Amino acid sequence: MNKNPSEEAKLGIWAHRGLLEEFWHNFKKNKLSLVGGIIVLLYLIIAIFAPLLAPYNPVEQFNAPRGEHNPLPPLSRSAEGYLFLLGSDKFGRDILSRAIYGTRTLLQVAVGSIAVALVLGVWMGAVAGYKKGTWVDELIMRAVDVMLSFPTLVLAIALLGAFGIGKTRIGPFVLSNMVKIMVVIAITYSPRFARVMRGVVLQEMTEDYVDAAKVAGASGGRILTKEVLINTIPPIIVQASLMMATTVLTSSSLSFLGMGLQPPRPSLGLMLNEARDFLFLRAWWYAIVPGVSISLVILGFNLLGDGLRDSLDPRQARRVQQ
Amino acid sequence: MNVPLLEIEHLVTRFYTEDGVVKAVDGNSLHLAEGETLGIVGESGSGKTVTALSVMRLIENPGRIESGRILFRGENLLTNSEKKMRQIRGKDIAMVFQDSLSSLNPTLTIGEQVDRVIRFHTKLTRRRRKSRVVELLTQVGIPEPKKRTGNYPHEFSGGMRQRALIAMAISCNPEVLILDEPTTALDVTIEAQIFELVDQLKERFGMGTVLITHDLAVVANSCNRVTIMYAGRIVEEAGVYALYENPLHPYTRGLLHSIPHLNEEGQERLPSIPGEVPDLISLPEGCNFSPRCRYADERCRQVAPSLKEVKSGRKIACLKIDEIDE
Amino acid sequence: MGVYILKRLFLAVPTLFVASIVIFMLIHLAPGGPVRVMLGPMQDPVLVKKLRHQLGLDLPVYQQYLRWASKALHGDFGISVTIQRGSSVMDLIAQRLSVTLEVAFLAMVVALLIAIPTGILSALRQNKITDHIARIIALLGVSIPNFFLGIVLILIFGVYLLQPWGAGGFVPLSKSIGGNLIRMLLPAITLGTAYSAIVMRMMRSAMLDVMGQDYVRTARAMGIGQQSIVRKDVVKNALIPVVTVMGNSIGYLLGGSIVTETVFRLPGVGNLIITGVFRRDYPVIQGIVLTIVVVRILTNLIVDLLYSYLDPRIRYGGAE
Repeated sequence: MNKNPSEEAKLGIWAHRGLLEEFWHNFKKNKLSLVGGIIVLLYLIIAIFAPLLAPYNPVEQFNAPRGEHNPLPPLSRSAEGYLFLLGSDKFGRDILSRAIYGTRTLLQVAVGSIAVALVLGVWMGAVAGYKKGTWVDELIMRAVDVMLSFPTLVLAIALLGAFGIGKTRIGPFVLSNMVKIMVVIAITYSPRFARVMRGVVLQEMTEDYVDAAKVAGASGGRILTKEVLINTIPPIIVQASLMMATTVLTSSSLSFLGMGLQPPRPSLGLMLNEARDFLFLRAWWYAIVPGVSISLVILGFNLLGDGLRDSLDPRQARRVQQ
Repeated sequence: MNVPLLEIEHLVTRFYTEDGVVKAVDGNSLHLAEGETLGIVGESGSGKTVTALSVMRLIENPGRIESGRILFRGENLLTNSEKKMRQIRGKDIAMVFQDSLSSLNPTLTIGEQVDRVIRFHTKLTRRRRKSRVVELLTQVGIPEPKKRTGNYPHEFSGGMRQRALIAMAISCNPEVLILDEPTTALDVTIEAQIFELVDQLKERFGMGTVLITHDLAVVANSCNRVTIMYAGRIVEEAGVYALYENPLHPYTRGLLHSIPHLNEEGQERLPSIPGEVPDLISLPEGCNFSPRCRYADERCRQVAPSLKEVKSGRKIACLKIDEIDE
Repeated sequence: MGVYILKRLFLAVPTLFVASIVIFMLIHLAPGGPVRVMLGPMQDPVLVKKLRHQLGLDLPVYQQYLRWASKALHGDFGISVTIQRGSSVMDLIAQRLSVTLEVAFLAMVVALLIAIPTGILSALRQNKITDHIARIIALLGVSIPNFFLGIVLILIFGVYLLQPWGAGGFVPLSKSIGGNLIRMLLPAITLGTAYSAIVMRMMRSAMLDVMGQDYVRTARAMGIGQQSIVRKDVVKNALIPVVTVMGNSIGYLLGGSIVTETVFRLPGVGNLIITGVFRRDYPVIQGIVLTIVVVRILTNLIVDLLYSYLDPRIRYGGAE
């Protein structure tokens, strides 16, 4: 190669910008991941515009018409004549409205906890990868190993068990339940981000363009970090997307078990729990509506994450027999 | 008299990829006689391996053999059923691949892998097969063959693995043996041993051999005839001595001149062929080599030369043969 | 291989040790201290002191840990404060662990019976109808939360089809094997679906990976028949990463059993830990979490053993 080292270093970033473009091109081709993206987008819209979309106040209780009792099936009306598009729950609250607001809280928790987990995990992983081989690296990775030896739901439950359910007072601060759940889930999932980040950092550090930059005189710390970090973005995005699916699963499981948002706040998992008592009264809508809502979100994130991951895979690119 | 063993006529093999059509083999013809060793030389991507895989009918999606005939003892392999081809592969025509570590199943012992080939093509009893396996491993020069049948591929050294692959290939006494860069991953001393082995086997069993390589030194030692491939087409064919004494095609000349010589002093730079190997999807019009050829003119860039016989046994695909005689 | 196993064991011990510290510290995470939490609004200082002493909380932290750890090693997880008035946590766990393990085991059986053949078939018929259907079902399996799936199954079988075993409940094996198993059917499917989906996807992807390997090409070049290639080259090698994934995902089975037991009202440790959490019964929580971690580490070791058996490269080191 005739190129001098500084050219090579510049080429490194450009080579990887090319990767981003190729990534987008591959991604667009994959129909399923587009579907996933659309689903996620739809849910985001529902979550953001919840107050505009929900027909009623989610905690408002309506009376059932005389002779009937809550929960009422879809397309029935309350005593005052209000229409329940998707039925009502045991307290006469509109299921559709509760589902919409429930989606909002679900996504809030998911996005919040992933954000925190990402920041925590990426920082840990970057430090560990950068100082590979030192005691810092060992310490962090052992901690990650220990955290990962707990099944995620068990860890979350244990932490919630320790902190207590409901509002918590730490000194002068009051942690709302939702924040607590976010923190707990973030702690549970940050080890995974740490591992991925460390792996990617290690891999990037062995790339040629890093050596080229070093030779060209770039100071070890700053410039290296910038270039390396740019290239860690795609795998982290893939991981984040896949983790969103799991986070939604975990947080809705916690809600189902009663450890999530406390009533009367609308929570999809909790709705499913309440529905159990009414299954034998054939109140299928009570379970199906929140259940499908949760499943669709998870499906969307899974499709998105799978698509993103496949787009990054170099094997997706040309494969010619030589 | 040389009985024709294998005849390839106007073989066209293409790969239909997302980025375009790769013309891996573009209308080539070759022949191999009994007892003869034919060398196929070219850079990676020139189409040599694809040619061999086409003979074995191992071309898979997105590749396809478009046209041509491949005659083995007169019978066209391209019209055979898959069932018939399975009988031929490993038994009448055998191939040894390049990377021995990845070419062997890591979860089966060497003994089991050799045994499998024998079991599929013969009706020998288990005991007979067992002794045959040991016999084969001995023939290819693996020490402690009996013990070694129970070893796994990763427990062998590179040279040993290559020998094991050769043992698998000759296990049913094939008539044609194809070796695809058999020693590229090995160092020079082991390479010499492997070729010595192949020579011994050739003498003993008299098979026609096709040796695919990019290493001209190897060709000089082992082959009777040589074909040079470039970008999917054959550019020159000659007896080995004739080729080395007087290479005609500009590409062949470039290749031979770029071999470093130990005894020549005062050589400042190793001459190399300028330019790069073309992308097989977007080949130039006319002669494939014209972008890099110093004799090339407008006509070369427009008209593709076909392989013509200039002297007995010497073929060339170049429009400028008369002018190149430095 | 012996070295490999020993190395894994060596790694497991410190992990277990640190995990136990974390579990132990749980009791101290409660804001205001565990005692105040347990007593609730009654904050009589005498009672507080008594409880603190009883729980050993007046000792320095490391001593507390040593006390707790040594008792734990002897199988003494303390006394449950709230469940069945003072019964030993160990007893409670022992009664219920078998139920949890049974469901997890059956879920795995489901996975093995369904996921692996489906994965193999899917890979062999790549991009044909069978493959597409299988992949869609696997995707759904991973996306539908197990508590929802369980409820839907109860709706279908318990409510609309009026099957008595479709509503949950538990019959011990000692009483009736048939009765036990039929009631385990829905929980096993519920717990095993997501797990099966993961296994099936891994099997398919491992198969596709292996099918592109050079040694498959060698086998074909030697004229080996398709069936033999699939059996001895493809599946045999593809199982290696699949076994790894099965082992890694066991954590999911353990966590998921908590939810499944709640849905189907099974008397397992999952159900117990929920009760413990709601009642702030720390000994119970700690005991169960510790048990689960131990089970997890043990199964990891078993998986490592299996893995080294399947992959000769680990069993016998290289000779180069």
